[in-house]
Amino acid sequence: MTNSGLVSFMKKNATLIALIVLALGMGIADDSFFTARNLSNLARQVTIIGIIAVGMTMVILIAGIDLSVGSVAGLAAVVVTILMQNDINVWISIVVTLSLVGVVIGGWNGFWIAHYKIPAFIITLGMLTIARGLALTISDGSAVPVTDTTFPLIGGAYIPPLISVVLIAGVFGLVLFSTLRSAMRVRAIGGQVDKVQIITNLILAGAGAALALYMFGSYNGIPVPVAIFAVIAGAGIYVLGQTRFGRRLYALGGNEDAARLSGIDVYRTKVIVYIVVSVLSALAGILLASRLNGASPNLGTMFELDAIASVVIGGTSLAGGSGTIGGTVIGALIIGVLNNGMSLLGVSAFYQLIIKGFIIILAVWFDVLQKRK
Amino acid sequence: MANEIVLKMVDITKEFPGVKALSHVNFEARSGELLALMGENGAGKSTLMKVLSGVWPYPTYTGDIYVNGEKRTFSGTRQAEEAGIAIIYQELNLIPEMTVAENIFLDRQFTDAMGRIDWVRLNHETKLLLDELGIRDFKPTDKVSSITVGKQQMVEIAKALSKKARILVLDEPTSALTDKEVADLFRIIRKLKADGVCMCYISHKMEEIQQVADRIVVLRDGQTIGDVTPIAEITMDQIISRMVGRDIKDMFPKRVAKRGRKILEVRDLEVDHPTLPHEKRVKKTSFTAYEGEILGISGLMGAGRTELVGGIFGAYPGQSRGEVLLDGKKLTIRSPRDAIDNGIALLTEDRKALGLFLSEPISFNTTISSLETVSSKLLGVINHARERELVTDYVKRLGVKTPSIDTVIGTLSGGNQQKVILGKWLNSKPKVFILDEPTRGIDIGAKVEIYKLLHSLAEEGVAVIVISSELPEVLGISDRILVMAEGRIVSEFNRDTATKEAIMEYATGSAKGGDSK
Repeated sequence: MTNSGLVSFMKKNATLIALIVLALGMGIADDSFFTARNLSNLARQVTIIGIIAVGMTMVILIAGIDLSVGSVAGLAAVVVTILMQNDINVWISIVVTLSLVGVVIGGWNGFWIAHYKIPAFIITLGMLTIARGLALTISDGSAVPVTDTTFPLIGGAYIPPLISVVLIAGVFGLVLFSTLRSAMRVRAIGGQVDKVQIITNLILAGAGAALALYMFGSYNGIPVPVAIFAVIAGAGIYVLGQTRFGRRLYALGGNEDAARLSGIDVYRTKVIVYIVVSVLSALAGILLASRLNGASPNLGTMFELDAIASVVIGGTSLAGGSGTIGGTVIGALIIGVLNNGMSLLGVSAFYQLIIKGFIIILAVWFDVLQKRK
Repeated sequence: MANEIVLKMVDITKEFPGVKALSHVNFEARSGELLALMGENGAGKSTLMKVLSGVWPYPTYTGDIYVNGEKRTFSGTRQAEEAGIAIIYQELNLIPEMTVAENIFLDRQFTDAMGRIDWVRLNHETKLLLDELGIRDFKPTDKVSSITVGKQQMVEIAKALSKKARILVLDEPTSALTDKEVADLFRIIRKLKADGVCMCYISHKMEEIQQVADRIVVLRDGQTIGDVTPIAEITMDQIISRMVGRDIKDMFPKRVAKRGRKILEVRDLEVDHPTLPHEKRVKKTSFTAYEGEILGISGLMGAGRTELVGGIFGAYPGQSRGEVLLDGKKLTIRSPRDAIDNGIALLTEDRKALGLFLSEPISFNTTISSLETVSSKLLGVINHARERELVTDYVKRLGVKTPSIDTVIGTLSGGNQQKVILGKWLNSKPKVFILDEPTRGIDIGAKVEIYKLLHSLAEEGVAVIVISSELPEVLGISDRILVMAEGRIVSEFNRDTATKEAIMEYATGSAKGGDSK
């Protein structure tokens, strides 16, 4: 690889390199960071924000924003636990919560933003307090315990190690197969293949699989929320990269007028995106309630900031039109590693906030620098 | 008045990626005169004036600028202003929510030691300035948004003069003005001449030039054609032949029009003004288009051409009314999607703002309006191999010069970008293909290729509708020409009967008494 090739490679994968460096640093600073148990916990901690951040990526991609995600998660947690308290079946409670909280609030947000063209910032800022207020009202301001016995398993259970190993191998095989197949198809019709990037991707996928085997294979298997997050992130990556809907999001964020005049249904697309982010936020809230074995109306406070930070650190432009969910996952992992590592090192929660803030600013600054060239 | 040379531009050359906008341009202008800069769209007039006024700073061009005999290099508009050069654009640069006085003295308000604005003095100074220009139609305290475009232009002129501008550039100042406002503007221009101000005036309108210009210089394809010539020593025909130059007939491939069935019929189409209630951009307009025919739509800027085709395409939901019939069937078009699904395509005028996804590759830009052709029906999963094949085909067929279909479109030249957009609309398989100024800002070579493509589309039976402000272009490619003025179709010509003069007469509204339809 030539020198300039190395530079462009570093730039393309800058956030990933930052994650690896950060993790190695944490590992050197504290022996327990790289234990399977800690990594498994870290992965589970990341899932809640990660799931929201997948939806947030789509919203930011269309040059929007959703500030209400944390409140929606909190409201969903309260709603699902109260439903179960009233002897409603777990699964029915979850579906009702996802549609009542997720679809309705997302649809409402989307309607105001798309129909009346009111800035998303304002509409979702309003929803931030409305949803929080609703959560406080229906819970009467106090914590709601979970009595059901299946519910806690969703956030707390593990997929048995043997099945986990098979799943990890299966996913790795799928990535290997689809990467090679698409490269071959590109070459078959005379296109150019970025060999370096493909090989890197495969090495990374291999390393990821090995790490996953170490993390989950030697410690209880894959945590269920991690599996859910993996499925959602995978689906998000697929939708953005491989479907008409994904193309429309990039078009809409890149140039809304041109998108409309190219025949894209701007209204519908926006509403769907806001519904998706709300449903994912509600799901995150449900998972959190399950893990904590109860809900408090203040659950999810400030989640919007971590979610937006994950998206932005992951390289998605706040101006819309560019970004990936893969980047967002890395962004969420960076925040997860920071939170986890700093706690291990005994950094006070106050300092943690300050450091996280600086890292967000650094990430955006880096992004701006790159765009200027 | 001593008419000495106050401005001289020598050997000016300016290049954009892929296009040479100016090539060794020379001219000079004197104090107390109005020098008309004439030329077709894309001839380089505006670029030249942007070089003069520091918008394109030194050294993004080569050549020398002399002001009052002194060689100057401007690194921005501020330096140009300090040298007494001001430019007034077609699109005015005023802040609508501020008053006339605030706009004129923007950022130079009179303040006291505490930094508080001295409103009395601000308004008084503005009043003096307006009085000097003989403007009585509006007051210093009027909000800019409450006065007409013509008056706003006068605010711009007053602003330029308040900065002691001695060289004033006016870029098509009358394109949006009423007759009365034009008369007012000319009165002010004559006054400025008497005061010794040098003016460079860009315009297409021959009658105006005859009224106010002292000398003229013609630009064509980025070059000055002939010397600066006193208006008394040149005929209109000579100006036109300098402007057009080349034998137009060679640029436009010959063909025998085979008009087929009536395909598109527009009845009583109306489009609202976007901001002014009760005003219409298009007033009850009807016309028809035929298979295999190239229909030209001519008219001045602001005549309502863009709005007419936008109305057909469903670009202004809720703001347009009327019937659109395709093949005799009435269509309900509520959005561009409906239009596209019915086989109508619209290539928009403003390529950057309305047509391109600048940071996306060629392939993305080609398939975005017809993703169905490269994806599965049910889930909409994109077939990348099929997409590459399709896009590669269009790139070859349209002669797009690019290293790869993965190249980001923003890095291509205007002509190549336009070819990609043509490909995007061809892929939607239109029966009616509307193109709004398809060759604007494109070099001659790419223009000819686009003309050829339009011909072959008509040949295949597509109804092609082309809006163009360039008369030679409309005359060269159209089988039939509609002329629009003030929101209406005012005249219709056949290929054989159309002449520049006749079209211009209708477009400018000087053919009074009528409607040749």
